[in-house]
Amino acid sequence: MAGAFLRRLGQTVFVLFGISVLVFAVFFATPGADPSARIAGRGASPETLAAVRHEYGFDRSMPVQYAMLMKKLFITRDLASFVDRGERVIPEVLHAAPVTMSLVGGAAVIWVFASVLMGTLAAATRGSLLDRVLMIAGLIGISLPVFWLGEVVNLFTQSRLHHSWAFSWVPGLGYVPFSTSPIGWFKALVLPWCTLAVLFVGIYGRVLRADLVATMQEDFIRTARAKGLSPARVLLRHGLRTSMVTFVSLFGLDFAQLVGGGALLTEVVFGLQGVGRLTYQALANLDLPLVMATVMYSAVFVVLANALVDILYAVLDPRVRDGR
Amino acid sequence: MPADLLPATQYDPAHRGGTLRLAADGPGGTIDPAINYQSEFAQLFTVTYDGLTTFRKARGRASDEAIADLAEALPEPLDGGLTYVFHLRRGIRFSDGREVRVADVVASMRRLFIVHSPTSGSFFGSIVGADACLRDSSHCTLPGVIGDEAAGTITFHLTHPDADFFDKLAFPHASILPADTPLHDLGNDAPPTTGPYRFVSYNPNSQLVMERNPFFHVWNAEAQPDGYADRIVYTFGVPDEAQVTAVENGQYDWGFDNIPLDRLGELGDRFTAQTHIEGLYAIYYITMNTRLAPFDNVLVRRAINYAVNRHAISILYGGTAISQPLCDMTPPGIAGHVGTCPYTKGADLDHPAPAWAAPDMERAKQLVEQSGTRGQHITLIISNRAAEQAMGAYLQSMLTELGYKTSLKAITNDIQFNYIQNTNNRVQIALTDWYADYAKPSDFIYDLFSCTSFHPGSDASINITGLCDPGIEALMDRAGVVSVTDRARGAQLWADAGRAIQALAPTAPLIQIDRVNVVSKRLGNFFTTDLYHLLFSQVWVR
Repeated sequence: MAGAFLRRLGQTVFVLFGISVLVFAVFFATPGADPSARIAGRGASPETLAAVRHEYGFDRSMPVQYAMLMKKLFITRDLASFVDRGERVIPEVLHAAPVTMSLVGGAAVIWVFASVLMGTLAAATRGSLLDRVLMIAGLIGISLPVFWLGEVVNLFTQSRLHHSWAFSWVPGLGYVPFSTSPIGWFKALVLPWCTLAVLFVGIYGRVLRADLVATMQEDFIRTARAKGLSPARVLLRHGLRTSMVTFVSLFGLDFAQLVGGGALLTEVVFGLQGVGRLTYQALANLDLPLVMATVMYSAVFVVLANALVDILYAVLDPRVRDGR
Repeated sequence: MPADLLPATQYDPAHRGGTLRLAADGPGGTIDPAINYQSEFAQLFTVTYDGLTTFRKARGRASDEAIADLAEALPEPLDGGLTYVFHLRRGIRFSDGREVRVADVVASMRRLFIVHSPTSGSFFGSIVGADACLRDSSHCTLPGVIGDEAAGTITFHLTHPDADFFDKLAFPHASILPADTPLHDLGNDAPPTTGPYRFVSYNPNSQLVMERNPFFHVWNAEAQPDGYADRIVYTFGVPDEAQVTAVENGQYDWGFDNIPLDRLGELGDRFTAQTHIEGLYAIYYITMNTRLAPFDNVLVRRAINYAVNRHAISILYGGTAISQPLCDMTPPGIAGHVGTCPYTKGADLDHPAPAWAAPDMERAKQLVEQSGTRGQHITLIISNRAAEQAMGAYLQSMLTELGYKTSLKAITNDIQFNYIQNTNNRVQIALTDWYADYAKPSDFIYDLFSCTSFHPGSDASINITGLCDPGIEALMDRAGVVSVTDRARGAQLWADAGRAIQALAPTAPLIQIDRVNVVSKRLGNFFTTDLYHLLFSQVWVR
């Protein structure tokens, strides 16, 4: 157990190191990326530029700059943005995390319930009209780009139909903390939740249906039926549970990458100041410390989620647990 | 002026109170007024901080002029413009209750060198001792600024006369802060203020809140009038499209970012009363590298000036209602504006037209033919904003029609401006813009064409064209000196310099632009100044 833990830790450190070197190298390989002049301001004199370059250590060698950056990010934890001078990036990411967590958490609840319902219904009524309608609806959901869907939702709820009874309750774009107003929090997030969930409902519903259909042909299902269990019980207790393995592993990775900043487009479209929007902002104005912090944050989540998924496999599938 | 628009000097207490709600996509960076160089926050600094001088808080052209603020009056230049003695106004307090003293002024001027203010070299480099401060800020003493607490005076000694010194002191970087303000970038912690508002909180990722400065009183309503709103809340992270919608819905009172072109029609049709066009001292222009082929040939540069359809550029920016064709680098309204157009159909350098009429493609092609550069490869660098991309596509087709093999390179807006300045990037031609820091010709043509603004191999080389002409340099130096004592003669000399630059055509001026503002239905007394746009202290929400 300890060995597995250490192995996992070693892998995590290796992955983080690799990603950080890559981000650093790509940043400095970008033409015009040197932030000195942008920090110094428009029309800065050569002396001011030199002073800024020295102050920020841009006159040092690349490995030294990399080491300084990592030291400020992980050891002294006082790494500051190149653009919003004085703004420390770690508190900034931590401040944005609850926004992303609220968005992704709510969307996940919607997409898990909706897709389980959709996949199970479709599998149970395989070949029927309902099955086809659900699967086509899923395909449409997958095909709608989230930024487009978000803008269309905004167009109707914020602009065209904002004054109608249906959408007059929709608040302006932005986030309301749960602690400030639980109702405000819900109102601000319900449309972003649904928008973000649409794609995943489609994918997960279709994946689950395919898995369920395959599982229902397995020997152990036949055995369950032979024992005289009701069709619903066979489907839900035996079929659905085993079919959830792919679902869970997909969920773990998707959830982690969304929490780590993958909900970027939804956050930008709905003006939610989460980790994704922070990443977008950092990329748009080439703010290396913020890019580095958000990428590291995201990588940690993905690695952690992988570990969690491995554990969940064992819980769901007895064959994994028993090492068979 | 309509009856419901009051000048800053006529304060109507009936409208006092409420919260002004502002929105922007991104934050404006550090809140340190000596360092921040973003117009988003300059707009806030103008209602929170004061310098010895300030730009008059008035509508239109009257706001271009620097007047006394924390100083009792503008001093007369002594020693031929090398010495200025300011008398500090008594009885003004910072928002923490302490009185503004001479020591605060001296310390603030010194601090701007120590914290490497962007304009420490370009604006304040003429102060005696500034060069030593720029070389080694840790030992900066700035002997050229002397305070006399008993007499209440601050004396500035300059190394050479500077006709724009009052304008530069009015810039937010020269705001007067308490003498004990930390000698580093303050980041998110704003220092105490002197204006009608103070900063209560600032988080670049969410919100900035300002409230009334309890120690503020009006000493000169033209310099710093009292504010109407009790509170100003600035929300960050609202995209430009969403800002327009939210203002239309009354959720915010004003948005900082430029209004997307596709929304202009709807504003004109349905929100006419809430939409205002505001003139800017801002221009779009093509910059050509006079040290790289084919633009090292003056004939090619003139050909570009003849060929470009300024009307088309105006349409691509958003229409002729919000932009006008431009023929020289100093826009109309600023002394030294040349006011004639040599590169238009039916005109030439010896017979300039009064205004731009149409492109002259025939003559442009002749000039290209004469230059022998036809068929050469050109890369045009633009920024990736929507309007620039459209203009870039048009310019690419124009250059192709002139006979060049042209490619177009769009770079992210945040780095394009510095990228095109660096000679190491070997940029031949680029599309860019320029916004005035203050309404004087030097801020356009001296900054953009002086030999002293050209620094090869540096990202901060604002003379992007690389033009360094001894004749023009001498003319600009003379215009600067003469302007200290004789503004009118100085303006003539600046116009002469502008004409000389037109002849060498290192740039192709394209359009002067306006800004479209949409405000909430409840916002009253719409009030903009030329340099700092909407004046937050003078609009009311009650």
